[in-house]
Amino acid sequence: MTGEHPALALRGLAKRFDSKVAVAGVDLDVPAGSFYGLLGPNGAGKTTTLSMAVGLLRPDHGRAWVLGQDVWADPVRAKALLGVMPDGIRLFDRLSGAELLAYHGLLRGMDPAVVDQRAAELLDVLALTDAGRTLVVDYSAGMKKKIGLACALLHGPRLLVLDEPFEAVDPVSAALIRDILQRYVTGGGTVVFSSHVMEVVERLCSHVAILADGIIKRVGTLDEVRGDRSLEQVFVAVVGGRTATGEELAWLSR
Amino acid sequence: MAVPVTPDHPAARRVSAGHFVRLKLRVMGNNFRGQGRRIALFVVGVLVGLWFGAMAFLGLAAPGLVGEPRYAGMVAAFGGGLLVFGWLVLPLAFFGVDETLDPARFALLPLSRRTLITGLFAAALISVPVFAALLAVAGLVLSAGLLGGVPAALVAVVGAAGGLLLCVALSRAVTSAFATMLRSRRVRDLAAVLLAVVAALLGPIQIAATAAIRDADWDRLAGVATVIGWTPFGAPWTAAFDVVDGRAWAAPVKLLITAATIGLVLWWWSRSLESAMVGAASSGPAKARRGAPAGAVGEFFPRVVGRLRRDRFGALVARECRYWWRDARRRANLISIAVVGVFVPVMVNLGGGGFRMSSEDGFTATGDPSPLLVGLSMLFVGVLASVTIANQFGFDGSAYAANVVAGVPGRLELRARMTAFSLYVVPLLVVVSVLIPVVLGEPGWIGMAGGTLLAAYGCGLAVNSFISVLASYSLPETSNPFAMNTGAGVARSLLVLLSMVVTAVAALPMVVAAALLDGGWLWLALPVGVAYGLGAALLGAYLAGDVLDRRQPELLAMVTPRR
Repeated sequence: MTGEHPALALRGLAKRFDSKVAVAGVDLDVPAGSFYGLLGPNGAGKTTTLSMAVGLLRPDHGRAWVLGQDVWADPVRAKALLGVMPDGIRLFDRLSGAELLAYHGLLRGMDPAVVDQRAAELLDVLALTDAGRTLVVDYSAGMKKKIGLACALLHGPRLLVLDEPFEAVDPVSAALIRDILQRYVTGGGTVVFSSHVMEVVERLCSHVAILADGIIKRVGTLDEVRGDRSLEQVFVAVVGGRTATGEELAWLSR
Repeated sequence: MAVPVTPDHPAARRVSAGHFVRLKLRVMGNNFRGQGRRIALFVVGVLVGLWFGAMAFLGLAAPGLVGEPRYAGMVAAFGGGLLVFGWLVLPLAFFGVDETLDPARFALLPLSRRTLITGLFAAALISVPVFAALLAVAGLVLSAGLLGGVPAALVAVVGAAGGLLLCVALSRAVTSAFATMLRSRRVRDLAAVLLAVVAALLGPIQIAATAAIRDADWDRLAGVATVIGWTPFGAPWTAAFDVVDGRAWAAPVKLLITAATIGLVLWWWSRSLESAMVGAASSGPAKARRGAPAGAVGEFFPRVVGRLRRDRFGALVARECRYWWRDARRRANLISIAVVGVFVPVMVNLGGGGFRMSSEDGFTATGDPSPLLVGLSMLFVGVLASVTIANQFGFDGSAYAANVVAGVPGRLELRARMTAFSLYVVPLLVVVSVLIPVVLGEPGWIGMAGGTLLAAYGCGLAVNSFISVLASYSLPETSNPFAMNTGAGVARSLLVLLSMVVTAVAALPMVVAAALLDGGWLWLALPVGVAYGLGAALLGAYLAGDVLDRRQPELLAMVTPRR
């Protein structure tokens, strides 16, 4: 079954907020077993696209499938295969880390004994055991990312969708998250994540898509997209950034 | 003055209150942009404000219009005092404060405390309730002018302006102080107790007041009015009528009392504001106990629901239970329920009994409470308690995404939320329905009171489940549990009103039965009411859950704060 369907397939996803078009028709196929990076500048529509792909935001047009299950026609079956870590969205942060994991596990219909065992393991691996009963609201930004990842991993999903997993994370935690994700992909899982940190994407991803102004500008394997240039050069060329001339902001130098 | 801008001495222009006012107007304006629904709600709010303002205007101007100087001072003292009292208590109990300009946003700006307070205070004056109150107290000015000519009118203008400033300052200071207390882990329980004590004190005051009115002794009432006139509650409003009565010397003293009170209250506000801006510093050290040996799941379930099955329903109930206690905003609501639940029936029944007694000029030791009145007050408590969950998803905010991602079935979600909320509220309602009949000396009515209360509560759960699914709104992500978004006040009041009317109608058969039947009904009402309430709640969860299944992403978008 895994072989027949892409892990995530998007067709013509579009979303408009008031008068602003956030996503203008995105088609994407994420092969099963790939480590997929969704690149784009701020405001490109990454979060909107991923939200529509996982069933958090109803698209104006288009459809999404997770391993062949239609996210919007049959959400229950699609969501069972999914692990999601949204960005800019609060967790139920008045629970402690262990409580939050227990909540997520039971909500996914898992056996309590399995939840206990996996929660202990995850907290240990992610170095969150020391936090004890500290509420998640009092966690640092990096700890919040880690507990969010643990919540998404707990029920052993086939597809992991992560929005900005490396944002505001210190190098040690980032290395830890990278290791865990790499092991997950090696074990047959599929990861889709958004980022604008080129270095991380280049190191991790097998496939890359560059999103700007709500449409996919480049897509393919990492080597196809970057060719003989660095990913950063390709990205800046595609997105069309401007470079400082040295004339403006003269008052910054005293 | 044209100062040449040099890099070493950038000309720092003074920040005035006008900046804050313009900022507030701009934020309000931007909120309306392209939002027809919000504009409509705002217009409705303005109309409601005008209506109440106009009514109060007529009431306060009446003594002047009919030329009765005898009542003028009394009306000013009682009416104005009530106004101040309302501004003091209502934001805490029901309405919250419009925190369009969140003080925490100004923490990084180089503003002196004085500038900040003046600015926020000036911005707080730009609101519909303030304009409604302005209209109302204009009645006092008119009354004073008609009775005492220009000098009295001038004093009344100054007094009314001072009184309004006092009202706004009080509402800000009190909510800010309580927000600080509720935030801090160490004293938050103390704050809860304090609120309850204040509310408990309201009961006896009310009883004493009705007793005083019952005696209907004008001299004594005038005496009370005079005393109120010398407190900050009445001083700003009554100064002008001292001029009318020829006691011109009292006017400056009363205005001075007002000014001093405003100063003190603003100082108090600035103190609590500072801790609000520093934020996390006051939350105290986190408890870092090691994880319990029971494991994550065992730790997650509060002891009250320890017997619950470890499945999805259990998890939802456990999380809601934790949240009703740990989330300051929700806890503030629970406290309000406790306060109102005890206060309203006591007030209605004891006060009502008093009225009846005076009208029949009999002087029996106990009042004459009626099953109808008790039933109605119980209905009201049930309605009020359940209206709290009208925005239950708004409490969660964007965190609700976790449930959407997990694909929680709507019916399960609603049933679990009802269960967790009831774990806190039903014991309280039971206490109320036992306490009130016993206090009234009619323990035989416990069954009727309990049945009516639980029936109304169950109907309310059903109605408010629908409202929460269809019309939840986002709450600002500040640490002030009383804060609301611009315009949300009107929306909230309208929703609350709608849900209360529908709930009351749904539960009315219980009260009608209490009025028509007697004897057997007094106890039969308990099982009937419990069954009625439970049935209504389950039916509500069943129907609203279906709607929720189709609306999960839309609901998430509604409760996610815009940034």
